[in-house]
Amino acid sequence: MTIQVVLADDEVLARQKLRSLLREQSDCEVVGECATAAETIELVRTAHPDLVFLDVRMPDMDGFDVIDALSAEKEFIMPRIVFTTAYDHYAVRAFEVHAVDYLLKPFAPERLWAALERIRERAGGTLTGDAKEHGEKRYTSRMVFKSKGRILFLPVSEIRWIAAEENYVRISAGKETHLLRETMAHLETRLDPHFFLRVHRSSMVNLQHVKEVRLESDGDTAVILLNGEKIPMSRSYRARMQRLLHP
Amino acid sequence: MHPAIFISASVLVGMLFALQEWLNARRWGYRIRLTFVGEMWGMQFLLWGIFCWLLWRFLRPLIVKARVLTLVTRVLPLSIATSIAEEMIWVLFFPKVPIDRPPMDYWHRLTFQLDAEFVDSMAIFWCAFLLFRGVSYYQKFREKETTTARLQVQLVQARLAALRMQLNPHFLFNAMNSISSLMRTDVEAADVMLEQLSSLLRMTLERGEVQLIPLRKEIEFIETYLAMQQQRYSGRVRQSLAVDPELHDAMVPALILQPIVENAYVHGLSKCAGDGELSIDIRRDGKRVRMSVVNSGNGLHAERDVAGRRGVGLVNVRDRLRLHYGEQGTLLVREFGMGRVSVTIALPLQIGESGTDEAARFDA
Repeated sequence: MTIQVVLADDEVLARQKLRSLLREQSDCEVVGECATAAETIELVRTAHPDLVFLDVRMPDMDGFDVIDALSAEKEFIMPRIVFTTAYDHYAVRAFEVHAVDYLLKPFAPERLWAALERIRERAGGTLTGDAKEHGEKRYTSRMVFKSKGRILFLPVSEIRWIAAEENYVRISAGKETHLLRETMAHLETRLDPHFFLRVHRSSMVNLQHVKEVRLESDGDTAVILLNGEKIPMSRSYRARMQRLLHP
Repeated sequence: MHPAIFISASVLVGMLFALQEWLNARRWGYRIRLTFVGEMWGMQFLLWGIFCWLLWRFLRPLIVKARVLTLVTRVLPLSIATSIAEEMIWVLFFPKVPIDRPPMDYWHRLTFQLDAEFVDSMAIFWCAFLLFRGVSYYQKFREKETTTARLQVQLVQARLAALRMQLNPHFLFNAMNSISSLMRTDVEAADVMLEQLSSLLRMTLERGEVQLIPLRKEIEFIETYLAMQQQRYSGRVRQSLAVDPELHDAMVPALILQPIVENAYVHGLSKCAGDGELSIDIRRDGKRVRMSVVNSGNGLHAERDVAGRRGVGLVNVRDRLRLHYGEQGTLLVREFGMGRVSVTIALPLQIGESGTDEAARFDA
């Protein structure tokens, strides 16, 4: 199925970049462009796109006003929103209105592909807002944080492992790791225990990324991830893991 | 000074005089009650305490600045008036003084009292005057001292800022040049690098003029910097970065590692055809933080020909360490086998408060 896209940005060059990058994606179709918030509201109402790339700062109103105006209408199915902006301080607000992603300008194509991948993953289901999908769950489906000068809306399914480092935790996802001021104990309450399993006092793995549990020659156990990473497992947690893998 | 403290001190001095008079009287065989002497002296110094405090409160500029002419024309008449006023009030309170004399009327008693006490009163006034003047000189001196200290700090900060500015543009233009060249050959790579450069700039701007930052922020910066260099050197360099987790909150001067890493690339790794190695190791060493950057390359000697070029960045680092830590901050450059060079900086361990403002947020 094709993803119908609307580009909303007051700068023509910014729209051009998105348009040319999206042209490379066979399943994306740009159905319209707009330069003001008012135009955006109008276009989204009539064209019913699946996805809107929305600039936060536009001449008349800001991107959040667009969302407010659209979500005020009954029966209207909200398109997915990806914010594109040069400012990083709207990130938390964007997260709260359930935007799919937050691209800080200038962004590399990889970043855009990652955002599109998330759209596709959810396209299998209905294209309704995240709130409806996850509203009743006890566990978090994604988190937002700042790392290395970027904003990340990280779906927890992308997390491979989490390791405690004193007052911080290191989260491994994609090609890199991120250091967060969090505790393992708190993360354990927020992450679904069906997927996230403590394998050591100071580490946790996402079972979706686990390939096997291997008994090492020295008698210790290690968890091998799909990408080949090896995470040591302590005895006390081994039994729990085996129960999950071989029910 | 609080008026109560000042006046109490004054009364205490009065009490000492009273005690002295009482002791004297006893020695000469006079019978006099201690409480009575105490009342008289106490009252005199209470009045003086109040007077002096009022004078200080309202005539401070006059007391502090008065020159000889003002002293004669204004302070001297003031001292006479104050002394007389004090005696006038005092006499009111003690109608029975002088003792052992037939009763006298008020004016009679006043002249009697002035006759005996006027010189003493004047002495008290001028003592207080000198005391105030001395105190104000001392205060001014202290103020000057703190201002000088503050200025010195500001000067150091300005110099630090200038040094940091020297670091940034250098690196910025190099990166832009790389992007510019990538744009002709590999647009995607140029785009990635542009994003990385923006991230670096964003991090730098966020810090503003803050001199010391938590190590984890410096490491975030270095990680992005390394990713960018990896792009430029397209996999010719194996990078490794190890940080002791205990040190995530240790405070280090902002951008202290970047010039060292940049140096490693410019003077060492860029000379390697392949198989270059860069390792950064940050660990705790007792009460110090030790950061070492080791790179493969041609060693130090080969560099000597390009006189001094290795210098600039490292001299900046050394200067900044000295400004921040004095003798406590050290930088050591060493060469060991196979053209490997290590740069090690060590600085006192200071654990900063970790901010909670940057905590992650979760869905729902």
